[in-house]
Amino acid sequence: MSAAGQEGAHPPAIRRAAVIGAGVMGAGIAAQIANAGTPVLLLDIVPGAAARAVQTMLKADPAPFMHRAAAKRVQPGDLDADFAKLAECDWIVEAIVERPDLKRALYGRLEGVRKAGSIVSSNTSTIPLRDLTAGLPDRFAADFLITHFFNPPRYMRLLELVAGPATRPDAVAAIRDFADRALGKTVVECRDTPGFIANRIGTLWLQSAINHAVDLRLTIEEADAVVGRPMGIPKTGVFGLIDLVGLDLMPHVANSLLATLPEGDAYRALHREHGTITGLIAAGRTGRKSGKGGFYTRAKDAEGNSLKRAIDLWTGEDRPSAKPSLESLDLGSRNLRALAEHPDRGGRYARAVLLDTLAYAASLVPEIADDVTAVDAAMRLGYAWKYGPFELIDRLGPGWLAAALRAADRPVPPLLELAGERPFYRTEAGTLQFLGLDGDYHDVVRPEGVLLLADVKRRSKPLARNGSASLWDIGDGVACLEFHTKMNAMDPDILALIGKAVGMGRKGAFRALVIHNEGSHFSAGANLGLALFAANIAAWGEIEGLVEGGQKAYRALREAPFPVVGAPSGMALGGGCEVLLHCDAVQAHAESYIGLVEVGVGLIPGWGGCTTMLRRWSAAPGLPKGPMPPLSKVFEMISTAQVAKSAFEAREMLLLREGDGITMNRDRLLADAKARALALVEGYEAPKPGTLRVAGPTGQAALRLAVDGFAQLGKATPHDVVVCGYLAETLTGGARGDFIDETPEDAILKLERQSFMALVRHPATLARVEHMLETGRPLRN
Amino acid sequence: MPSYKAPLRDMRFVLEQVADLERLRALPGCEEVTTELVDPIMEEAAKLCEEVLLPLNRSGDEEGCHYENGVVRTPAGFRDAYRMLREGGWPALHCDPEYGGQGLPRTVSLLFEEMMCSANLSFGMYPGLSHGAYTALHAFGSEALKALYLPRLVSGEWTGTMCLTEPHCGTDLGLIRTKAVPEGDGSYRITGSKIFISAGEHDLAENIVHLVLAKLPDAPPGVKGISLFLVPKFLPDGQGQPGARNGVSCASIEHKMGIKASATCAMNFDEATGWLVGAPHKGLRAMFAMMNEERLAVGIQGLGLAEISYQNAAAYAKDRLQGRALGGTRYPEKPADPIIVHPDVRRMLLTMRASIEGCRALGLLTALEQDVATRSTDPATRQEAEDYVALLTPVVKALFTDLGSEAANLGMQVLGGHGYIREWGMEQYVRDARIAQIYEGTNGIQALDLVGRKLPAHAGRYLRRFFHPVLDYIESRGEDEAMAEFILPLSKAFGRLQQCTAEVARRGFADPFEAGAAATDYLRLFGLTALGHVWARMAEASLRGLEGGDADFHKAKLATARFFFARILPQTGALSAAILAGGETLRAMEDAAF
Repeated sequence: MSAAGQEGAHPPAIRRAAVIGAGVMGAGIAAQIANAGTPVLLLDIVPGAAARAVQTMLKADPAPFMHRAAAKRVQPGDLDADFAKLAECDWIVEAIVERPDLKRALYGRLEGVRKAGSIVSSNTSTIPLRDLTAGLPDRFAADFLITHFFNPPRYMRLLELVAGPATRPDAVAAIRDFADRALGKTVVECRDTPGFIANRIGTLWLQSAINHAVDLRLTIEEADAVVGRPMGIPKTGVFGLIDLVGLDLMPHVANSLLATLPEGDAYRALHREHGTITGLIAAGRTGRKSGKGGFYTRAKDAEGNSLKRAIDLWTGEDRPSAKPSLESLDLGSRNLRALAEHPDRGGRYARAVLLDTLAYAASLVPEIADDVTAVDAAMRLGYAWKYGPFELIDRLGPGWLAAALRAADRPVPPLLELAGERPFYRTEAGTLQFLGLDGDYHDVVRPEGVLLLADVKRRSKPLARNGSASLWDIGDGVACLEFHTKMNAMDPDILALIGKAVGMGRKGAFRALVIHNEGSHFSAGANLGLALFAANIAAWGEIEGLVEGGQKAYRALREAPFPVVGAPSGMALGGGCEVLLHCDAVQAHAESYIGLVEVGVGLIPGWGGCTTMLRRWSAAPGLPKGPMPPLSKVFEMISTAQVAKSAFEAREMLLLREGDGITMNRDRLLADAKARALALVEGYEAPKPGTLRVAGPTGQAALRLAVDGFAQLGKATPHDVVVCGYLAETLTGGARGDFIDETPEDAILKLERQSFMALVRHPATLARVEHMLETGRPLRN
Repeated sequence: MPSYKAPLRDMRFVLEQVADLERLRALPGCEEVTTELVDPIMEEAAKLCEEVLLPLNRSGDEEGCHYENGVVRTPAGFRDAYRMLREGGWPALHCDPEYGGQGLPRTVSLLFEEMMCSANLSFGMYPGLSHGAYTALHAFGSEALKALYLPRLVSGEWTGTMCLTEPHCGTDLGLIRTKAVPEGDGSYRITGSKIFISAGEHDLAENIVHLVLAKLPDAPPGVKGISLFLVPKFLPDGQGQPGARNGVSCASIEHKMGIKASATCAMNFDEATGWLVGAPHKGLRAMFAMMNEERLAVGIQGLGLAEISYQNAAAYAKDRLQGRALGGTRYPEKPADPIIVHPDVRRMLLTMRASIEGCRALGLLTALEQDVATRSTDPATRQEAEDYVALLTPVVKALFTDLGSEAANLGMQVLGGHGYIREWGMEQYVRDARIAQIYEGTNGIQALDLVGRKLPAHAGRYLRRFFHPVLDYIESRGEDEAMAEFILPLSKAFGRLQQCTAEVARRGFADPFEAGAAATDYLRLFGLTALGHVWARMAEASLRGLEGGDADFHKAKLATARFFFARILPQTGALSAAILAGGETLRAMEDAAF
């Protein structure tokens, strides 16, 4: 088939890209392009700045690069010296200072060098497209669009895309496709209006939340608590969020919006400068990155304890931060309408902010977007809201909101009138539908190749289910095992459902199994709270049963007569990592953070983690012969609780294998995993339990010696020594381990159990577990 | 007229065999605590209780307190008795030597508390409340307040109160209305009404120091906005002598079912002068500081009343001739057999005795941990002891007072009709014991504290201090054949407790109603298992003791132990069945149908 024949179906590929402007955004975009495997040129007007930006990014946390190898794909250069290199690029992203004149001048220069058919996009967040293309040739306008990334570009999943009237459709398609599949972004197409979608609504929301907090005399803690969790907004709320992004950014955003917003826009009426805030900015207290704090500060008391302090919006004075105590918060934590109807200041505040924000959002469709789904997606992915504005309206009731607006003598947006009492979203015959501008409901259509478990759940009943996990039919004879505990922590019910699923698969209920969920994290590990409680009441038999039950369930997965594919996203730690280690294949979201972290809580992997890693490293090519090299690798990795910061790092640690796949776009993960599972069905044969060559007591002694050395240097704590001792014993096959004979894997599994049980009875381990549960940090005892 | 002999033999047994005096002596200030030191003190205490306080118990109950124009008079004889208590230095027993106290550990002073509760509970309320005020002030008062007030509380010259309850709120202290306005000179004006104030007004001491919960003008709502204030009846003058009368007065006294000689007062504070104790808005923390001590003290009230009721019921049962033994005459020389021959009378007496001796041992163990928690120099040891005390406090309070009330009823039952009439004194114990189940947090609240606060705290860490040692004990005695008759039932009860603890935690986490529905049964299950543990330890000690000189004591101890394991501990089976059945049947009935 000729390449031309595919032209219509497949947009032109982006094989090489460039980013101009090596500021935080430009450099971050370049890093993400490199993460996707595409070579990228990073240029800056200041000589050497791009190279420095790459070095800075290699040390940054959170890391812009998914793997240090990705950094090699970024070729830094100086704009003037290396301008000619832009000729090789299929896509040029402009991320320079927000000045239309400078941008246009740059575009003019680009016309002299870029190759035909290449695409240019701007990362502007404030300048309308029509201003950017003014005075430039038609050829340029046809190749030009706006790609607005959110900070940090690796982690924020939203990409706002604005095409002009002259932009080539296939250029739009090419960028859309590349951003979606390669960069892993959810692309929301926006109109050429000020602030596009997310910042347009977000800026008004922030302003409204500040104004009402001042007027209703809420403390900033109260405001953040009301606006945070009850509305499904990250717990930083408003003031915490501004501290995070920087107070000094606010006037910039405000001014650029005020310069471009239409007359009569609601934001103009709300915009107000607050003395306390301008004072903070003048004093350089512009938020966390300023080092001086912002609305919140940290100070040390006389005893050296770090104390959180909060500013009083009225007096501008700092005072010790206090946990808010409002009746509306207690009552409204689960019921948004109850919160918004509550007469105390928390309730009045919630009502005021919701009315401003939601009425504004409703008034902007179709001005800024074709339909409500785009607005909701933008706010969810760009501002990390759990619910978009129209989803929030549904939680309040569209009729309730309209009535509340009328009661406040405010106009009701036509879209809200159109909805009447009807929700903006409904499920009809198992399909999610949204209310269109025509007043009818329309199916929410997912892009081709996107399979969401949420959609499956909407249209079907589980094949099996208990309180912690469910088994779903995702079509074509593939089942999906979903965890749904808090943090998707592994518990006895999940293990039970694994056992049940394997039994059903053996009977032919499905051909292949995918393990996947759409929580923030695949699994944070075993349910430590449950284990600690059992340990505290000395229920040793129960704990031993849990360890054995986990080994059995995971082993059943591995030895099942059908392929099993793990599809993680987010954290997969401890027991959550071990379940992946027992899958035939893993299709991981690039943003997967995988590791065996048990030693952090004074334990060792007890669900086959030690055994599997030993097997994998023993078979790894390129290591010197003998049992010691793989042993050292595994011991180092587990004893230091290493966590891969991306799927690419996991591959290097053999937590993923060479053949395991990586999906950049989270929405495409399940479909990719399903395809992978189906590909394994033909001629599938389950692996058999094998044998290992262990290092035995001499190896154990060597490891113990090394640990003692670390202890003497103060790098290992007393309990580290204890835990590492058990780990060494387990990995070397215990007292009877012998590097001449083959040791059955079962023997190592038994050692895992014994070591685990010995450690779980240790008071220092219990202290570690408790500390982790209460502070989220490891205890170094 | 009931008689009373302080159970010194059993107290020494518990102190020596169960409480581990070595552990106590390792604590600073306790190095000298030996039975040689403790015995004479307890003998003196017994004398005071048997000879001075006991004779006033019935007369005090008959006479009650008198109220007239804001003045409260205690019943005849109370003033003299209080003077003797004070002169004997008894209020100072368990107080800080820095303020004139004798510095004895709670483990020792608890024995005196028990005797006082047996001999005359109403009287014991006055020094008891003083000690509560002492504890809060000692922990949280400023140096100036402590220097002025503590020596007088310790000596007993002045007494103290705790003013918490208001007409509209008892359990839910977040609702209190009493307010405190700063004067600018460091003092505050306190205004409001308090009710149910024990020892709020009386004629035993020259001054009364009230510790009052009130709200400052800028107080946050709820329990986070409560502050604690010290308000004396008479403002001390320059010499620290009672001076001008403060704006605090007694409006009336309550007419109650029991503890009639204890003045339960309604107090009015009318711009009374007071001083802040502890930090603003942290009053509840100060209250909790003394809560553990106070709740143990109330538990001991149940124990004390059970003891005196038992002594008199047992004496009566041996003396009272009525009918013949079921299996045939036992005392042919007498016109009838004493009722002690009857199995049901023996059941009642053994039930009382098993409760009493078990509670005495468990109470002492808890007091010992309190001593460790307050005195140990090692933070980790202190923490572990605090955990244990936090866990056991609601159990001790509710279990001891429930068992005490049950015992007082059994004691009355043994006497039949004579138990019901006042002359024999047995019904007074039933009435007096009843309040202990209610005040200082009702026993329902104790059960909620156990399942709602203590169980989930730190993912069950408090539980570790009980479950681990008990399992270690069971496992370490596993091979001991002589102990098998005790260890097997104990391990069964322990298994039930483990299972129910896990279930209550699991269900309660998902649905607090379930935790509440299980709470009271769970507390009893916990308490019986804890008693099982101390009973096994006592049995073990008595098995050893059989060889020694005091064989009769140990034989009786073993007989009571066997009764406990055979006839009482099996209640844990029924309790666990009820707990595991869940709360659905408590929820099902419509509110309106009640």
